[in-house]
This record gives sequence, structure tokens and C-alpha cells, in this order.
Amino acid sequence: MAAVDSRGEVLDVQALPLPYFLLRARVAAMVPAEPGQFVMVAGANRPEPYLRRAFSVYAQEATSDGSLVISLLGKVIGRGTEALAACVPGERIPVLGPLGTGFHSVADSASESGRAALVAGGIGSAGLGLLAEALERAGRSFDFFYGGRSAEDLVEAETFRRLSERAGGRLVKTTEDGSAGERGLITAPLEAGLRAGAGYTTVFTCGPHGLMAAVARIAAAAGIAGEAATETPMGCGYGACLGCAVALKNGGYALCCRQGPVFRLEEVAW
Amino acid sequence: MVSAGASSLASPDLSTRVGPLRLQNPILTASGTFGYGLEFAERADLHRLGGLVTKGLSLEPLAGNPPIRIAETRGGMLNSIGLQNIGVDRFLIDVLPGLRDLPPKVIVNLFGYAQDDYVRLAERVDPYEGIAAVELNVSCPNVSKGGIEFGHDPEILSRLVRRVRSATGKPIVVKLSPNVTSPQALARAAKEGGADILSAVNTFVGMAIDTATMRPILSTIRGGLSGPAIKPLALRIVFDVAREVDLPVIGIGGIETVDDVLEFLLAGASAVQVGTALFRDPRTAERLVDGLRERLRAEGIPSVDSLIGAAARPE
Repeated sequence: MAAVDSRGEVLDVQALPLPYFLLRARVAAMVPAEPGQFVMVAGANRPEPYLRRAFSVYAQEATSDGSLVISLLGKVIGRGTEALAACVPGERIPVLGPLGTGFHSVADSASESGRAALVAGGIGSAGLGLLAEALERAGRSFDFFYGGRSAEDLVEAETFRRLSERAGGRLVKTTEDGSAGERGLITAPLEAGLRAGAGYTTVFTCGPHGLMAAVARIAAAAGIAGEAATETPMGCGYGACLGCAVALKNGGYALCCRQGPVFRLEEVAW
Repeated sequence: MVSAGASSLASPDLSTRVGPLRLQNPILTASGTFGYGLEFAERADLHRLGGLVTKGLSLEPLAGNPPIRIAETRGGMLNSIGLQNIGVDRFLIDVLPGLRDLPPKVIVNLFGYAQDDYVRLAERVDPYEGIAAVELNVSCPNVSKGGIEFGHDPEILSRLVRRVRSATGKPIVVKLSPNVTSPQALARAAKEGGADILSAVNTFVGMAIDTATMRPILSTIRGGLSGPAIKPLALRIVFDVAREVDLPVIGIGGIETVDDVLEFLLAGASAVQVGTALFRDPRTAERLVDGLRERLRAEGIPSVDSLIGAAARPE
């Protein structure tokens, strides 16, 4: 489906609290994103920062007037995210999307009998929102592993608890400081689950590079398939600048914005 | 603003002659910022461009540099793509047929590691009618095979252009590096070698450091700076080169608004290439075509021609 470059009307920006925020915008001409796809957005009429920012579509809802309301889950880490968090209702911001290749195996995996493990690190949970909804809708069971430095990094824990429980699974939390869930890294309960025979046949992950690399190792060792929603600095988001190279195991590079952002775990040279 | 004194005109003449090239308007897309053109047909109206310059093509496909390849800076960005491209043969077979019947002139950007590479590339594209001109990339800051930089030594540049001249009858555009003491000296050398057109400028070498990791952001440490940040620097070089060398110049560097286009024309450019601004908004080039037409109409300026180099003329 063709991506459309249009304007989105900001409906609200919720501090979750900051640095995390949830921006909702109504985009007239946009087709719904597939799980894992993203949009390029920027604050309204701001000369700086110069380039748009890539955001996973975290949630979306088609409205009766034919427009799409998209939710972007973000964390203020620099000028681009700052500008978005500072948007006010009614502002019209540029939105280009949906872009990229999402989770390819969702269609297959929905009909699969095995359970899925979704593994998010902090704000990486934004990349798994639509996927969790799609799996829940398709009636495929999954556990949601949600790791962060501390409790406030698990901003959307309740959403993922609800979705995973509805899908017959559960939410598992870890934090490095022990302020929520077990103290430690989120890969620990994932490995424990696999050892205990949780029956995962697919693992999906989005988060810091180190986490996704670890998940790839764990999946390979367990002999299960998986996909990761990757992130790189992006210039344009639509394949023109060739800036968002992801190194592949076969020696070449793929563009995060076109062949990605979702790759099979075994494809990427972690 | 110069004025032709006429009242409002129905339709200003946007066409421009750039040496042997006749363009329907002076707005082109810059090499490396718009792929090979066709990929973005759904995102931009190719028909309305004056021309498009392809991603730099080499004899063999190139994978490009490892990540991280780009870093945003104030008013622009650094890139170190490393000339990732599909190779000249795949371009000629797979891409060119889709481009050659479009109104914009197709200029192929050529890149080599040795003089022979440029000659072979020029020979390779010479028979293809859909190619209006070749642009020689002699100034990419992001590849350093053997440290050869053809665009930094007047004698080498002159010899290179002369050899390419003998390999093709197509108009030759030489893309000048800004990372030299005297771009004018290189411009003269390109003319001596037989260039038809100059394009100025390529990106400025720069760098950025991640203060969290305390390491350079780009995998290659240095990259090419582009975007609005370089516009005044590029404009100065276009002004100097256009006054000094009797060749048409295509202006490049941070162009995003109609005023930017006008400034480059007034400085002496016969056309402009839009680059980094396309990343921010894929429709920038066609927006500039519309905006320029509107502006000339509103100001009562009959043609693009009347603007070229006006800032260099005595008052």
C-alpha cells in the first residue's frame, strides 16, 4: 500500500510521565500501518531539527470519517523527540507513512499453533504495540517480556498486561534496579521460560541493539524463529538517502527503511 | 529583486539553457538524494522536474560504508554513504528505460577509483539516447581508495576530463569539491579538459562526535555536510566560479526555498540541484518549480534567463 505524505492534526500529547509521551494525531489520507511499520514525523513548521524522525505506529484506529488516528509512543532523547513532545492539540504536523516492511510472519504466525514471546526493551515496546494487538485479535497466545532500567521505563505495562492476558499469556517484567518485577535483564526470564517448556515457537523483539542481539542468540540456541524491529539513524525514511544501513550476515547491507525495519533474527549481523 | 518592468505575465518562461542542455525549468534533483529517480515516482511528480541526476554509478555494484552513515547536525546532516549503488549495467538495463521518455533530462553521475574507470563508464553510457549528460563525481569525500581525489588537483582533473571527453560525445558536467583552497582553479582545469558544465558544490567534509560514547558518530569518522547550513558557503563558490570561468554552472548546496533558488540564479547559476531538502519533504523539487513560477509572475520577471548572474553585474 502506498505511503502518503500528508499532515496530521495533533489530538493530544500525553506525558506518561516525561521523558515518555504518547502523541495522537488524526491523518486524513493514511492507510493503516501493518505491525512493525513506521511513519516519518516532525513538529509543525519548525526549521529545526532539520530531518523528520521515524516512529513506529504504536496503535491506530480508523474513524468514521475515513481518517486514521495514529498513536506514537516516544521518549524524549534529543531535539526531534523534544519537538514532538511539545506539540499542542490542533497543530498540523507532517506525517509520511506507513513506511517499511513490518513483521512478515504475522500472517503465518497467527495460524501457527505455538505460542509467541514478545520481548521489549524500554521504549522498544512502541515497535510491538500493533503486533500484540494483531496476535490477540488472531487468537494467538503470547507472553510479553518487558524490561527496563527501572519501573518508569515500563510505561505501557498495563496495556501489554491486558493484551497478553486476553491472549491467554502473561506480562513478565524485569528492571535493572529491581523497582518493578525481578531485578535483572529481560533475557533471563525469556531463557527460563524456554527451559521450562513455555512452548514458544516464535520470538519478536524490539529494543536496544544489545537486547535484540541477545534475543537472536537465545532464539538460535533454542531453534526457534524470530524477528526484530531494528532502529538506525534515518535521513528520509523512504529509500532515497541510503543512510539507514543495517549490516547483514551475508556481508551486504539492507536499508532499515525499506527491507526493514523488521528483519528475521538470523539475517542480521548483530 | 530585478524587475523587467512588465506588469504581471501570464506565464513566465522557466526554461533554461545550461550549455548544450535545454531544461524545461532550472530545478534538478541532486545525485545521491533521489536514488535513480523511478523509486520515488509515487512520492514526487517526476514529469515536472527540469532534470534528475542519478545516484553515483560505478562499473561494479558497491555495498557502501558500514553504519552509522548519517548524523544530523544543526541545519543539515553529515553523510557517509560510500557510494552504494547498483552498478552502471543494471542502471542501463533496469532503470533507464523507465526514465528516458520523461520530460526531465537524465544526467548520470559517474564515479571511479581510477581514471580508466571514468573512461570506461563514459564509453558504457555513451550510446544511450535517454542520457542527456554525464556528471563526473570527482569530489566525493566518503571514499578514499588510495587517497586519490581527482577533484583536488587541477592537472589531474584536467587530464581526467580530457580522457572522458574523448570517450563520449555527451555533455560533461564536472561536480566541484568545496574542500579546496581555490575552487576557481579546479573550475578552470575542468574547462581546459573540455567540460561543458560545472556543478558546484559537493558536500563539505565535516564530523560529529557522540558525547555519550565519546566516539565519532560516523563509522568513517568524516562525512559530507549538506543542508541549509552550507548554503552561504556554496553560494559564494558559485558566485566566484561563475564570474571566473566561462562555463554554465549548476548551483547546489542547501537549496530548499524559492529564495534559495533565486539567490543561486542571481549568483550566476543557470540551474540548481535540490538534495537534502528532499529527505525532509520528497516534494520539495516540484514545490520549487511551482513556487518559482509564481514568484516570477508576481514580480513581473519574464524569464529565468534574465536573472542568471544579475548579482554580479555592475549596478
